[in-house]
Amino acid sequence: MTSSSSAVNLDRTNSIEWQLYTKMLTTRVFEEALLRWEHEGKHSAQTFPSKGQEAVSIGTCLALEKGDDVIPSFRTRGAMIGMGISIEEQIREFLHTPLAAGDSRDAPHHASWPERGVMPGSTMIGGHIAMAAGIALANQCDRKLNVSVAFFGDGTLGSGDLHETMHIAGNWNLPLILVCENNGWEMSTPWPKVRKQRSLIPYAAPFGLATRQVDGNDSLDVYHSARWARATAIGGQPVFLDCLTFRLGLYSSHFGEVRPGIEKELAEAEKRDPLKRLGDWLIGAGLTTGADLERLQRDENQRVEAAFNAVRGEG
Amino acid sequence: MSTLNYRDAVGKALQDSMRDESRLILIGQNFAGHALKPLADAYGLDRVRDSSISESAMVGIAVGAAMKGMKVVVMIAYADIASVCHMAIVQSAAKLHYLTNGRLRCPVIIRLPIARFRGHGPEGNEVGASWFYNVPDLNIAMPGSPSEAYWSFREALTRPTPTLFFEDRSIQLRTGDVAETNPGGRAQITRRGDKLTIIAAGRAAALAEDAADELARQGQRGVIEVVSLGIIKPLDSETVLNSARKTGRVLIVQDEPIYSGYAPYVRCVLDELPVGALACAPCIIAGADQYLPYWDERPFLPSLESVIAAAKELLK
Repeated sequence: MTSSSSAVNLDRTNSIEWQLYTKMLTTRVFEEALLRWEHEGKHSAQTFPSKGQEAVSIGTCLALEKGDDVIPSFRTRGAMIGMGISIEEQIREFLHTPLAAGDSRDAPHHASWPERGVMPGSTMIGGHIAMAAGIALANQCDRKLNVSVAFFGDGTLGSGDLHETMHIAGNWNLPLILVCENNGWEMSTPWPKVRKQRSLIPYAAPFGLATRQVDGNDSLDVYHSARWARATAIGGQPVFLDCLTFRLGLYSSHFGEVRPGIEKELAEAEKRDPLKRLGDWLIGAGLTTGADLERLQRDENQRVEAAFNAVRGEG
Repeated sequence: MSTLNYRDAVGKALQDSMRDESRLILIGQNFAGHALKPLADAYGLDRVRDSSISESAMVGIAVGAAMKGMKVVVMIAYADIASVCHMAIVQSAAKLHYLTNGRLRCPVIIRLPIARFRGHGPEGNEVGASWFYNVPDLNIAMPGSPSEAYWSFREALTRPTPTLFFEDRSIQLRTGDVAETNPGGRAQITRRGDKLTIIAAGRAAALAEDAADELARQGQRGVIEVVSLGIIKPLDSETVLNSARKTGRVLIVQDEPIYSGYAPYVRCVLDELPVGALACAPCIIAGADQYLPYWDERPFLPSLESVIAAAKELLK
């Protein structure tokens, strides 16, 4: 994955575009492997793939600074990868190996590495929003120039804890960033059946949060919006980023595809796949080639498989 | 330490904790006209947070702050409102330490004043401690004396797991000496006797003490031993068993219905005693299994008269 193995002679590894691409790719490849391994009986944890939504978590986490914290939702594995948690460390939680930092007590999608900014989430939809505000409160009391981030889906709009937390966070000026992965579906229910407006900004703004509508399939838009959000939150106003996106994958490995008649929408959404979009941009900018990206994906597949075998070998 | 009433002992525990713990914060409501205003004035609005009526988020926020090493006291207006924030208490606060394999602590106190005998009606006169009795890692304090009020509060902030603090406003003017040192969660023998042990917590413990005093006045001095639990979970089984072994007779008084709570649990603990250790089966006096009407709650709860009557029966 370094420039020396590339057909393009550029030192690209430090560019934000290249980091966004490689971390989104890792997320995609790792989650596909998790589904495959579960099917093969190598682990039994349910996976909630973020396919098509990787730009939201990766774009946000790469905009953060040392000392910032995130709380992923159940579909935000990219947040763990974006915060620098290795594939091996994550696989340990799936396999409950002796080296699993959390002793595999929490479900793998809620695994945490508190000392590295990945805090435990909640299976109760919306419960972690208040906890993220508490982290922000601690940072505010300690006069630390850090933010906390909570990821959640648009179905969380129905949770009272989201509204209560926005009410308090707006009033207390907490350095909190709420990142909505607005994919338009609550499991098998399309958004018009459960709310009046697709965007969640009309619901968040009156609480005093700064808001921005983000193209959640454009990792660069997410990244720059998150940089703005970070500065705004530290400046004393919590932020709501409404990232419009689309779930390209299953609801989960246990439930499968639960959106009846989704095939046409899926085909359309595939054209906006954030990984493909950024790959095309990189090729257009002369930073890589199609063959280069194909090789990168093969290498990543091998790396993830090797990580699984290595962790399994740890006993 | 000085003699205080129950209410002032809780207040002193809070004040001393704020003084001693620079990273302790308080989250509550309606501070402006509240007895806590002096704390807000002394420590500033950073550490004394006036919240909207958002109890679930208040508890969730406390848990998040604890993730960053803070200690937090959450002031809930009265105990019934624990039902509003049940999710945050059970799922977020109680499980944090376990879910993170002990990497995160949750020294959070959730103050739940019991507001009986004030005409609040059935949605404002519950205790609710028994609702939470089967939640692992959730400490439950139910002080019955000023000393227990002070020390169970201070003790709670040393624990890695959260504490529900059930303070009973109906005994807030009871006075007593506050012990010099922290009993560390141990139950207290508040009356010494050798014929009957009464085990209780909170208002029920105060009733037990009054019953022991009344029986002493009636000539049965040194007969009743009162074990005041103070912290009902984790429960100090050792003190319970030692007293039961000594007296051979046990009465348990609980200010809630009998289906759950410390009363049935203590009865299970007593099963550890060898056959014949007790002269008769332990007896429980508990609240009726019904809601408590606004017009009068007392007929459905343990009373001084019912405790004395049960004690006399057991002593026959």
